Amino acid sequence: MPPHVHPKGTTLRDPSKLFYQTDYNRRLIIASYWVIIVLAVPLWWYTTSIERLSLPASRVHSHAGNQLRFPVHIKLESAQDASLSISLQQLILDRVRTSPQAWKGLDVKVRNPHGVEDLADLYTITPGDGVPLVSQRQLTYPIRSATLPMLADTLASLLVPPTDAHRVAQYSPRYRLAFTLLNEDAAAGKAILGWDISGAISRHLLPIFNALSVLHNFTVESQVQFHAPLAFSPTTVDNCYGLTPEDLTVFVNSAEWSLSSSVSNDPVLHFILFIPSASRRPLQILDANGRPSPSDAFLLPQWGGIVIYNPSAELQSHAQLPSPVLHSVFSTFAGQLLALLGVPSLPLQLQSEASVLTGWQLDALLRRRALENAENAQDTLKSIVKLVDQIENMPVGQDVKGDVQHSLTALDQMYTSVSTSLNETLHQSAHALTLASRAFFNPGMLALLYFPAEHKYAVYTPLFASALIPLIAAAAREFRAWRSQRREAGIQ
Amino acid sequence: MSLHWKSRFIWSLCLPLLASSRSGYFETFDEELTVRALGDGKVASRFSFSTLLAGATPRNPQNLSVEDESQHYTLFPLALGQILREYAVTELHLTLNAGNWDYQRWGYPDEPDVGTGAQLWAWMGEGASTSVDARWRGLRNALAGLFCASLGALDEQLTTSPALAFAPQGALPAWSQPHAVRHAALAAEHVCTENLTPFLKLLPCKARAGIAQLLNPHRLFDADWHGMGLHVEWLPDTGVQVRLTFQSVTNPLRASSNRRDWSFSSTFDRTIDRKCPSASSSRILVTDPMNDGYRLTPTPWTYEGQQLTWTLDDPSLVGGNAVFDLIKQDVPLDVSMRWAVEFAHAARPPEAALSIQRSLHGASQAHGTVAVAIANAGPDTVRAAYLETMPWIVTFYLHTLELRVDGVLRPDLLQSLHYTPPVPHARATTLEAVLLLPPRSTLHLRVEVTKAFLRYTEHPPDAQRGWDLPPAVLVPLPFANSSALTANSTSVPSNANDVRSARRLYTRALLVDPATPDFSMPYNVVIFTCSVVAFVFGSVFNLLARRFAVVHAPVRGT
Repeated sequence: MPPHVHPKGTTLRDPSKLFYQTDYNRRLIIASYWVIIVLAVPLWWYTTSIERLSLPASRVHSHAGNQLRFPVHIKLESAQDASLSISLQQLILDRVRTSPQAWKGLDVKVRNPHGVEDLADLYTITPGDGVPLVSQRQLTYPIRSATLPMLADTLASLLVPPTDAHRVAQYSPRYRLAFTLLNEDAAAGKAILGWDISGAISRHLLPIFNALSVLHNFTVESQVQFHAPLAFSPTTVDNCYGLTPEDLTVFVNSAEWSLSSSVSNDPVLHFILFIPSASRRPLQILDANGRPSPSDAFLLPQWGGIVIYNPSAELQSHAQLPSPVLHSVFSTFAGQLLALLGVPSLPLQLQSEASVLTGWQLDALLRRRALENAENAQDTLKSIVKLVDQIENMPVGQDVKGDVQHSLTALDQMYTSVSTSLNETLHQSAHALTLASRAFFNPGMLALLYFPAEHKYAVYTPLFASALIPLIAAAAREFRAWRSQRREAGIQ
Repeated sequence: MSLHWKSRFIWSLCLPLLASSRSGYFETFDEELTVRALGDGKVASRFSFSTLLAGATPRNPQNLSVEDESQHYTLFPLALGQILREYAVTELHLTLNAGNWDYQRWGYPDEPDVGTGAQLWAWMGEGASTSVDARWRGLRNALAGLFCASLGALDEQLTTSPALAFAPQGALPAWSQPHAVRHAALAAEHVCTENLTPFLKLLPCKARAGIAQLLNPHRLFDADWHGMGLHVEWLPDTGVQVRLTFQSVTNPLRASSNRRDWSFSSTFDRTIDRKCPSASSSRILVTDPMNDGYRLTPTPWTYEGQQLTWTLDDPSLVGGNAVFDLIKQDVPLDVSMRWAVEFAHAARPPEAALSIQRSLHGASQAHGTVAVAIANAGPDTVRAAYLETMPWIVTFYLHTLELRVDGVLRPDLLQSLHYTPPVPHARATTLEAVLLLPPRSTLHLRVEVTKAFLRYTEHPPDAQRGWDLPPAVLVPLPFANSSALTANSTSVPSNANDVRSARRLYTRALLVDPATPDFSMPYNVVIFTCSVVAFVFGSVFNLLARRFAVVHAPVRGT
């Protein structure tokens, strides 16, 4: 008798009578598995998902449409009748209509002398004969009906001076100015071994630093290099050496000249006084036709300025930079600095009373920088929102969100301060831009960018597939059994 | 009124600028090359370029929050000056060496810091808004950027504060807050051309004129031993001195079997053909080997040092240095030394009285023994500080420390011991022991160590190679009451003046092999765990959810 055959006479217990084999209990067991799985899914989702805080996208988008509008009030003094101010207003409006891009963000109103006097930032035009004269926020101009179109043109060049946007360095609250005296080859003889930099800076640059102190702070440093070779050979033009316009674009030999400083993140503006090697003098800048140009300086947009000095033949073997040369070089540097910072120059026909800058120039610069910053900040914020939308694996932490929010707050404050204080507007716009850039370049946003979801599934699949297949099979089988039971019950 | 106030505010903003306009120090640059024929036929050369910022003082860290004065330099390297001011470093020493200095054959080096790999130590004042450790981190990273070296890897796990062995070589300003030293060494750092190029850029004449013309990377990095150094010190009466050094040991015997003749063109493949106009002194010293006949060409400008005998038919001198003054001498200059006789290889007495050997014993990946043999060949007892700065992966069992001379236990030779235990994953060990080395004998120091079991992510790339342990340092000390050791390690040792002149001896770097895992492990673990979980889950689930039924099999054969 095979051992597995039950002996006769004994009765088998019916397995379906076991408590866990009843249909109800078995279905309860399967259902509880599924309930646990369903309940665990949110937890699993939460623990494996990346922290992506929601950014205030609607605020960003609503800001993106906004534009700064600076109110500009001009008082036409001692105009006998209101007609002059009305026609001046009309002339300015015509100019705004013809070139709206240049007048962007300005809201010019010409006031009657008898109008309100309570405005602090008021530009005054006083009548006067002779050469037009600008002082702080005042313009002395011969006011007559005939001169009004010319006055409107002068005002246009004072309020919205033309600029070269590619040349101006990007706004920063602090710049590092690096002055370098570069000898191409001091060992070749007759080199300049030093300069009185401190004196030159205090004489030529300190007034500029003071005038621009509401916009920028400056850190100054200087060095002297004795061997700074060019990366190319200058062309020879009858008894002198020449730099063609193409040469100027590759003039800076950044591989050999150690100019950059690495201790801070402030943008650096370089000012280089280049002394050609004794065997390559005189070195001159050539114009497009290959003729030596009278200028000895050139500007590299957004990078800095370069002055070339050829020491005269009478120079002692090695010497300090002669004082008159130093002053002419530094006044060139000062001009280059102003150009790089986007400080508008006065129209040629005007005379100025101010030592460095008039209020007109400074205000125009403040307005343009504030506009620039506001636009950049709004664009950056828009880019962050777009980037985060596009890349789903990008984490967005509290610091990014906070920076975006604070940047928006700064923008809000900028809009409220626009009619009261220009300085405050610039300050807030710069703050907004700094925060927006910091949010955009937050290193935390890169953390999981390159960790694809596939890796996660590769780890989970061996676990989940092997556990889920019996669960699904059991649930399906039980569901089928339950349905056939129902059908049988229905038939009966 | 408001305008007036505003202008005053603006003026106050510009005050630091005004103050800077009178800064501007007197700067001098001196260069020197010392060439020394070694006993074993090799030639040691030492380049030293020192720039002095006369009258300058290091930046007081308590002024770190205030805007710094403008920096205007003529000869002083600006890139370095900025780093020193930014992190308010009083004294700084960085060395990058390749190879092992053989004290027995070559004697003591001209520049004492010859430990293999990178070594950085700095003295910084306390009391700043940013802590010394934060500035140390910044300094490391800034120098790593400046010299293209992996100094960023000298992190907290390697940083120690051994104030006794690394006493300041210059002076420390008497500020209200004390100074602290930070030291870290990375034996695995390789030195190569990418480190020399930024080094040369710090020199006023780069490698284009003067003695630095001889710094030819193709030859220097081919030498038997080579190393570069940066030393910043404050000398209270003179100013801040930056010294850039390069040492090399070349082997003229390698090129020609038994001739130890050398010249600039044979050693460096270059000659000096231009003078550096900014150097106030530019000298080449050739140390007299004091034996055999030799001829030095061209004729030296002058001689210094000990007395010399000098005849036209036998131009050999005794003692001292032959000096070539590059400012007065004609260029191009190609100094050469020709020997009368061929070099005879022979056993020579050791050049250095002290020698130190360190090794790591034991085959186990968990335990080992560090054995150090310090030999004193001199006639006097020497008191010396022995310093170990181990990363935390090697931990000393301090109770097993034993000192033996000729197999006899000599605990009396250990004068004092200063031990900072490691903190796993955070801090390195510092063990500073002041030892007495008896004359004409060898002291054996043994201590058992345990090797850490590292976390998976803590292993370096190429983990099977093991970890390089930084060299140990032996510093001879004068006989004095060893009060410095018991004092707080951050304070300056009282006998700093005496330690300054001491020659540091470095041991070789060691390689330790902690247990390495199978690096494909994580995925194996995932798969294995999943299999077990799936198996257990399936079994339990099947048992619970399976429907059992009695099957009545028809019984046959009855």
